[in-house]
Amino acid sequence: MTSREHQVSLCNCVPLLRRLLCDAPWRKARPLHALSRYFRSRVSPSKMAEEPQSVLQLPTSIAAGGEGLTDVSPETTTPEPPSSAAVSPGTEEPAGDTKKKIDILLKAVGDTPIMKTKKWAVERTRTIQGLIDFIKKFLKLVASEQLFIYVNQSFAPSPDQEVGTLYECFGSDGKLVLHYCKSQAWG
Amino acid sequence: MTDDKDVLRDVWFGRIPTCFTLYQDEITEREAEPYYGKDSSVSFNVVSSLPSMMLYTLEWNRILLLLPRVSYLTLVTDKVKKHFQKVMRQEDISEIWFEYEGTPLKWHYPIGLLFDLLASSSALPWNITVHFKSFPEKDLLHCPSKDAIEAHFMSCMKEADALKHKSQVINEMQKKDHKQLWMGLQNDRFDQFWAINRKLMEYPAEENGFRYIPFRIYQTTTERPFIQKLFRPVAADGQLHTLGDLLKEVCPSAIDPEDGEKKNQVMIHGIEPMLETPLQWLSEHLSYPDNFLHISIIPQPTD
Repeated sequence: MTSREHQVSLCNCVPLLRRLLCDAPWRKARPLHALSRYFRSRVSPSKMAEEPQSVLQLPTSIAAGGEGLTDVSPETTTPEPPSSAAVSPGTEEPAGDTKKKIDILLKAVGDTPIMKTKKWAVERTRTIQGLIDFIKKFLKLVASEQLFIYVNQSFAPSPDQEVGTLYECFGSDGKLVLHYCKSQAWG
Repeated sequence: MTDDKDVLRDVWFGRIPTCFTLYQDEITEREAEPYYGKDSSVSFNVVSSLPSMMLYTLEWNRILLLLPRVSYLTLVTDKVKKHFQKVMRQEDISEIWFEYEGTPLKWHYPIGLLFDLLASSSALPWNITVHFKSFPEKDLLHCPSKDAIEAHFMSCMKEADALKHKSQVINEMQKKDHKQLWMGLQNDRFDQFWAINRKLMEYPAEENGFRYIPFRIYQTTTERPFIQKLFRPVAADGQLHTLGDLLKEVCPSAIDPEDGEKKNQVMIHGIEPMLETPLQWLSEHLSYPDNFLHISIIPQPTD
């Protein structure tokens, strides 16, 4: 359909839907969002190009044991992350403001391995270096391998920078999105 | 009336006379012969007119240098390193690090910030101890090369622009512009640096300032490394926010009660700007080359 037809079909969306349901089976296979821009899925086209795993997963999935709302690390052979109370999958601690954890969403860049659990609740005072060490252990990277973390896909904060400060300044929708990469992605 | 641009020059060319002394325990060889380079009776009143990067050897284990406030320790101390390495055994030399009165100095903080925060109430020169052993892993980042300093500097600039312009200005620049910013800092070239940096100090005509002000507030009395938050330069009613407004919002303990005695100094580049100064103006004129306002809150000196 042309975009003109898309706009026209907006007014006729209900009859259009009815027509579809009556169409031949091979036509029903077309995704709804392709019919009109108003039916477009919530995920933007660029994000659709990413692998489905990178979409935000709440850690209550039953995929791997231990990814629930506990402080236990996932049921893999990964060694216990350092001071595991500082980084836990998705829990919120009801403590005072400075102890409260913030939500971090980790996204892999390039051919860097993707973390099974992407959303983490992290103490505000955790440093970027602490987070790097944690991710490296989780992904079973060798200590000598480098890992870079980026904010806003534009700058790499200093290793001693606290995640709480980054969240205050660059967080959105209640979380801080961080991209991680084995090589320098954004210089 | 002084042009505001003169302020930019004054900030850029600020210098701190610093005396570097090699840590006693690390002196491993060499006869203890005093070595006097330039006139050893040079008084520190004259120091401010000395060419900035010349090195004055006072004794073989002690040298005097004028440090640029806006630069970084590991960027400007090559001569210090070379000089002291001559008096040490090769195998004893590992990464250089600096300390003031027992506090390791973070090379990734600008020199002027370190001085204001730690030593501004003491007499000049700033006495820094040089170490080549026992690197304090817990306190300091490693500085493997000049590239590491460049990477850190550029990252700070990008973070500042993310706050000021949603990264639009810095992302529109070419790689060679980024390089020019770094080379300008590294080679102490004011014009070279500001030819590009001025673009980062602009804002859309319809606005009255940047989106948010890049600032960091440091205190030695707290555990936190620094305070950095989102803060707009302009209020909803169009009034320009001042330095006082910022402090009231993010660090109220820094503001002294009006009728009480002055307990704190709010210092940038060795001066105490008036609290009524518009924050937007401070950001445009008193930022460090990384485009951040690095503000020190220090106890009022009791002398």
